[in-house]
Amino acid sequence: MRVPFQKQTLANGLDVIVHESRHVPLVAVSVWYHVGSKNERRGRTGLAHLFEHLMFEGSAHQPRGYFEPLQQAGASLNGSTSTDRTNYWEVVPRDAARLALWMEADRMGWLLPALTDARFETQRGVVLNERRQSYENRPYGLAQFAILDALFPAAHPYSWPTIGEPDDLRAASIDDARAFFARYYHPGNASVAVAGDIAAPDAFALVEELFGEIPGGEAVPPVTAAEPVPAARRLVLEDQVELPRLYLAWTTPGLFHPGDAELDLVADALGNGRTSRLYSRLIHDQRIATELAAAQTSRELVGTFQILATAAPGRTLAELRDAILEEVIRFRDGGPNEAELERGRAQAEAAFVFRTQTLGGFGGKADQLNAYNVYTGSPDYFDQDLARYVGASGEDLRAAAARWLDPDRVVELSVVPAGRPELALEGSVPVGAARAGTAPASAARAGSGPGPAAGTPDGGRS
Amino acid sequence: MSTRFDLPQPGAPTAVHFPPIARETMPGGLRVWSIPAPAAPLAAVLLVVEHGSARDPEDQPGLVGLTADLMDEGAGNLDAIAVADAFMRLGTHLEIEVAPDVTTFGLTALTRVLPEALALLADVVIRPRLEARDFDRIRDLRLNRLRQLSRSPSAVANRVFNGAVFAAHPYARGTLGTTVALRTLSADDTRAQWAEGFERAGATLVVAGDVTLDAIRPVVERTFGTWGGGRPRTPLPAVSLAGGDAAVLLVDRPGASQSELRVGHSGPPRRTEAYFTLLTLNAVLGGQFSSRINRNLRETRGVTYGARTAFEFRRAGGSFGCDTSVQSDATADAIAEILREFETIRSEPVGEDELALARSSLTRGYVRNFETAVQLGRAGAQLAVHDLGSETYDDFVPIVGRQRTADLAAAAHAYLQPDRSTIVVVGDRETIQPSLAALGRPVRVVTPEF
Repeated sequence: MRVPFQKQTLANGLDVIVHESRHVPLVAVSVWYHVGSKNERRGRTGLAHLFEHLMFEGSAHQPRGYFEPLQQAGASLNGSTSTDRTNYWEVVPRDAARLALWMEADRMGWLLPALTDARFETQRGVVLNERRQSYENRPYGLAQFAILDALFPAAHPYSWPTIGEPDDLRAASIDDARAFFARYYHPGNASVAVAGDIAAPDAFALVEELFGEIPGGEAVPPVTAAEPVPAARRLVLEDQVELPRLYLAWTTPGLFHPGDAELDLVADALGNGRTSRLYSRLIHDQRIATELAAAQTSRELVGTFQILATAAPGRTLAELRDAILEEVIRFRDGGPNEAELERGRAQAEAAFVFRTQTLGGFGGKADQLNAYNVYTGSPDYFDQDLARYVGASGEDLRAAAARWLDPDRVVELSVVPAGRPELALEGSVPVGAARAGTAPASAARAGSGPGPAAGTPDGGRS
Repeated sequence: MSTRFDLPQPGAPTAVHFPPIARETMPGGLRVWSIPAPAAPLAAVLLVVEHGSARDPEDQPGLVGLTADLMDEGAGNLDAIAVADAFMRLGTHLEIEVAPDVTTFGLTALTRVLPEALALLADVVIRPRLEARDFDRIRDLRLNRLRQLSRSPSAVANRVFNGAVFAAHPYARGTLGTTVALRTLSADDTRAQWAEGFERAGATLVVAGDVTLDAIRPVVERTFGTWGGGRPRTPLPAVSLAGGDAAVLLVDRPGASQSELRVGHSGPPRRTEAYFTLLTLNAVLGGQFSSRINRNLRETRGVTYGARTAFEFRRAGGSFGCDTSVQSDATADAIAEILREFETIRSEPVGEDELALARSSLTRGYVRNFETAVQLGRAGAQLAVHDLGSETYDDFVPIVGRQRTADLAAAAHAYLQPDRSTIVVVGDRETIQPSLAALGRPVRVVTPEF
């Protein structure tokens, strides 16, 4: 076991995990709620993330906002929302452990009295600006939205982006937020981890004292969705970019499912670093690409595998596509070589040690314990997780690539400079036109091209 | 009487005692600093070479950075792919970070592979191949990167801001160079630049982790023993604190739904006596979430995802600026608010509560900066970059804790210049230009050179 811990479950259903680590006088608190954008519905997308913002604005007994008292105590703090979960964390000097837990308890149990229309409106504006900054006004920023929309049917909860559609965010009401809180934000749907310079009995006693009286709430049924059926799709998105970029995308096994770790290693062999097959061929040898990446993104219901490559000036996306798929097929047929296996194992072993360095924050030990607890039912999963990587054989990797990376059923998205649709792969359909009537608003707008002639992608008229 | 629902109060700030640094100088002149961090079986290695992009020849901006980038594309008896392969088989990878004052070669590795990792690092630094074939490829990648960055609002804003704020100073040029200059370079230029800046550089090797100086000494002697000891460099000229011409520099980005903003001016170097006061001042003004400018633009107005200010401290001077992006229709108002916040903190005393919050967050939170080997290694490297004493980190809590409103007022008066701030806007000119007139400053439409 890499990170020793103790776990208790309170009478109200709250999971509590404590990891003692006394080498620095810090305590990390992490709270996971098992709710994300997959729990939303079309027409109200973005609610889980907008709600996360409201959690920092105040609660009944600390109505003046969460940053000031925590920063005054020396905390760093943040939160994030994914398709599957929402997390909140503080890292504090050890004498402020009670404060951090008190704050988390107050917003878990007593958030709504402090939620006002004014705060809701302000955070709606902030989130619309987060969307502009992180996606709309960033080169290639809308590509992921188009890929998710193409990989998943409209009813699948991974078909919309966690940040939400602007029209949905504008339509969201404070009553939606109240209902969301009642349904998802209660001890039975949460997991608290405390890591650092605190004795385990003290940590358990604090959590019991501060969270124990919060009512349990109704169990949240797991989200289910039909397996997406892979199909070939070819799309084009015009954007304010200099160089055309190609994305190849497949749906793959979800987090901790068979094939997930293997595909992570396949992604490394194909696209991670200069030694990878695609880098050494496309960038080092042939110099037809100038940027490259490959990744298995593991999510709770189902994963995605993506390869992206940006064309070097004067080279075509068709050249990139042919070279990439040739390498995928070569891997599928021959599997990895010994050097690739050795690098993969060395990187995995080192990464698992590096991961134990920080107590808190995104990816720190408290966060990892919660992730394992929420997704597998037990925080005791470090060794099993590592074993997935060091135990994978060359044949396992080959088989995973053969099973999931089908060159005939791949989503291919070309992102090209505005006004140059001819630079896309042949036969590409403009994003938004492919699913007329049901396409997300943002993708439809983006498909018309955010260039000077077509006006702004979002308009900034919130 | 306290009740369950009273906000718990934190205790006194935790004192920070930076671990003792074991120091030794190798026969060739390399300084070796070992910082104990035994919590995990790994070590952070940072080789700080006193040669950075500010040393670019005037007509060859980007040369130092390109040279450094090329150094791990083939070294010793390994070609470019083999160098990367060797690092990856050790479960690590090398990061080369080119900054204006120094170039840092960094890696994090399990302690048991440290000897091999240091040997590879020595190959990269001391025996780079710098071959024409690799040069062509790496230059092309950099030219393409510049092209890509020319479409990134934040990269465009930073380039224009640094160019204006540092004006004729070498810091104005940035680390990546320009397309025009990079095209004139050759592999020979990088070999000459390596000989000039890296072959016998002044350098410090910082190793922080589960390892002692005694344990690494033989390895470092074997790998770096005769290297280092370059002549001390002529210091760069000091950055002028006179401020800019207060113009609005507008870069058109048709259709942009937000405007990327930078508002600020030049500032003092890291070794300024006002350092701790300026950090405290900045914490009140814009250094953290609960600071004035973020509260104003994000939490009151909702027109941005976030806004912050920072002093960037370099060896010969620095800059101060506000960095944010706001929805297009709020551009002029946001700029006016930022300038008003600069002016207010300069002309009105900071409230005692606000000062207490800033001091408290900085001092109580300071211990968070020294949790991991990487953090300790980076902190050690900063001492080397700025030639600071080892008491620097231990001094932080007591000195910041002593800051008073009068100290902040004096520093704000001396170091904030709202009237001479450069304002950079990257946004949709058609939408925003008319409203910019209300700022009462000249508006110049500019196109940055990439």
